[in-house]
Amino acid sequence: MWSGLQDISSAALLNVNTTKDQHSTLPHHATTIDKIPDKVLLKIFSYLPHNQIGRMARVCKKWRMIAYDSRLWTHVSLRPEISGLHVTNLETLLALISIRFGTVANSPSLRYIELPMELITHTVLHELAHKCPNLTHMLLDFSTAMQLHDFNDLHSFPTKLRTMCICLSEVIFMEGFMRKIYNFINGLEVLHLVGTYEKAVEEEEEEIYEVINIHKLKSAVPNLRVVNLYGINFVDDSHVEAFSSNCIQLECLALNYCSKFTGSVLKLLLQRCKRLRCLLLPHTSLQSENVMMVEWEKTSLQELDITATELSSECLIDLLKRAPPLRYLSAGQQDGFNDLVLKEYVESGNIKNLIAFDVDRNENISEEMLLQFLRIQGPNLRGLQLSFIPHLTEQFWNSSLPLLKNMKILIMGMPEGCCQKVQSKVHIDSLMDGIANHCPLMERIEARWSSDTLRFSDRSSKAIDAIRIKCPRLRCLTLNDGKYFEMVKSNFERADRMTVVRSITNYTVTLVYLLNFYKDLIFN
Amino acid sequence: MPNIKLKSSDNEIFEVDVEIAKASVTIKTMLEDLGMDEDDDEAVPLPNVNSTILKKVIQWATYHKDDPPPPEDDENKEKRADDISSWDADFLKVDQGTLFELILAANYLDIKGLLDVTCKTVANMVKGKTPEEIRKTFNIKNDFTPAEEEQVRKENEWCEEK
Repeated sequence: MWSGLQDISSAALLNVNTTKDQHSTLPHHATTIDKIPDKVLLKIFSYLPHNQIGRMARVCKKWRMIAYDSRLWTHVSLRPEISGLHVTNLETLLALISIRFGTVANSPSLRYIELPMELITHTVLHELAHKCPNLTHMLLDFSTAMQLHDFNDLHSFPTKLRTMCICLSEVIFMEGFMRKIYNFINGLEVLHLVGTYEKAVEEEEEEIYEVINIHKLKSAVPNLRVVNLYGINFVDDSHVEAFSSNCIQLECLALNYCSKFTGSVLKLLLQRCKRLRCLLLPHTSLQSENVMMVEWEKTSLQELDITATELSSECLIDLLKRAPPLRYLSAGQQDGFNDLVLKEYVESGNIKNLIAFDVDRNENISEEMLLQFLRIQGPNLRGLQLSFIPHLTEQFWNSSLPLLKNMKILIMGMPEGCCQKVQSKVHIDSLMDGIANHCPLMERIEARWSSDTLRFSDRSSKAIDAIRIKCPRLRCLTLNDGKYFEMVKSNFERADRMTVVRSITNYTVTLVYLLNFYKDLIFN
Repeated sequence: MPNIKLKSSDNEIFEVDVEIAKASVTIKTMLEDLGMDEDDDEAVPLPNVNSTILKKVIQWATYHKDDPPPPEDDENKEKRADDISSWDADFLKVDQGTLFELILAANYLDIKGLLDVTCKTVANMVKGKTPEEIRKTFNIKNDFTPAEEEQVRKENEWCEEK
């Protein structure tokens, strides 16, 4: 028995040696790719983009079988401008749906699809409805649309959708499409409607069209848990009222950049939707008097974002003292958020659950008050955003870093150009050392100081080594372009951590990862 | 640290730190389930791995012994193949036969990290190649009839559109 084994293995050894020495002159002896089990070949293909997998199908019969495996086609984007597939021809898409996305009993198949305007037709939707029973996530992009297809013949639509995202156009009225699908989307739990915020800013004079009828839509979706209306120029309090009247399960509402929202309906909303835990209202036109009307003490709110709304100090104090202890508070760009507000908030004891705190650009909070806050709550915080505050200098961070032992996300620093005051230099090494020594859980850092403000030298590499080694979970370190950035980047790259160091021009760190609903709120 | 002995298919014995050997789920399970004692003198037989490959696998596992466990495959996350560390890239500068044997060994021994990185390497080898180039690279026989070939070409025409 042993001799048999020996024979095989020495033969194998011989092969390895000969191929090494003579370079594939005897390829038929060496182990070849056809020995690789299908399961592993499938894994190899899973690292390839979809258009490459399409090419693999043409190599041989076995590869075709694996390339058509529906497990490789569970998440498909057909929007080429955001790295999706470019399929121009409807027939092709229909064939793809039949051959790739469709399902054999109980095997995984298409669950997520993104469709651009051109491909949203009644035949495509019909095929998806009939051949892809596992489809739960769908994104429909109408943002580039000039005219809607004719949906008179639309009689079926995927019925198991849990998450739907519709990118709206400014001028296309959606009702012709929407009234055809109302009957199919009762199970929807997560709804994103994405407006054209950026365009709207440029062309302010243009007439605003209410392109989707939210008052009708709400009746079709009683089971929504998460509603995200992003940058939609016509959305105001009446639309929020509509959702609140029919979606009693609502847990998370986001209205980022819906500038017509004033909060007059907040009181009613929170009375009706008792489960609402997360309210994201940054860059809306929230009014202090509306906020003060709300019976915050009776809500189950845990997460709140009121960044860049102009609330008075009185309103902020009232809100923070009456609301249940929050775990996430984002209140940057608020002139009213001053020492008194923070002092009252701290003294009320309502900060006890806080794990994420953002008072970015609030110049009216003093260094002493922030330190006092961090002495109490610092050890519990996992995210802190305190940039654009000119008086927070190196000393502030040197005293506060030892308090931040559970910190995962930290945003600090003062970029150039946003204020004329003379800036003191910052010794970045001592801050890096501070983070390395005190914050072992750190995952994301953004330091916004400009390259000119930072003091560093050849010896700085020691501090960079320290943070690289002592913060093993660090996956993102964002810095301003400049010499220091180059130095940190090359240090991490030498250690094979290529994607950690990023430039501020391409990437910004935020605290949103700490939201309980983060997974439901991402789209694209 | 206690050592254990591993026996390759060609009966070569390797003495390895238990913790390093446990990078292989197969070996780990053998030790736990089959009640193989750590100070047992008997070698664990690995009939599917020859000594040349086993030597390389041990070298890999030793270098990566302090790595955090590889993340579970998240189906929702796009997989990328461009994040191979330079040590691994150097380690995998081997002929095709060895690369495929390493894949087979990683698969049999159930070492996720090694299987991931070897599969990524092969993915990078096929990326950007035409079907004919791939057949040449891996010595694969085209077993389509002309009619079948035309059909599969048509079915996948879309992926050449830019």
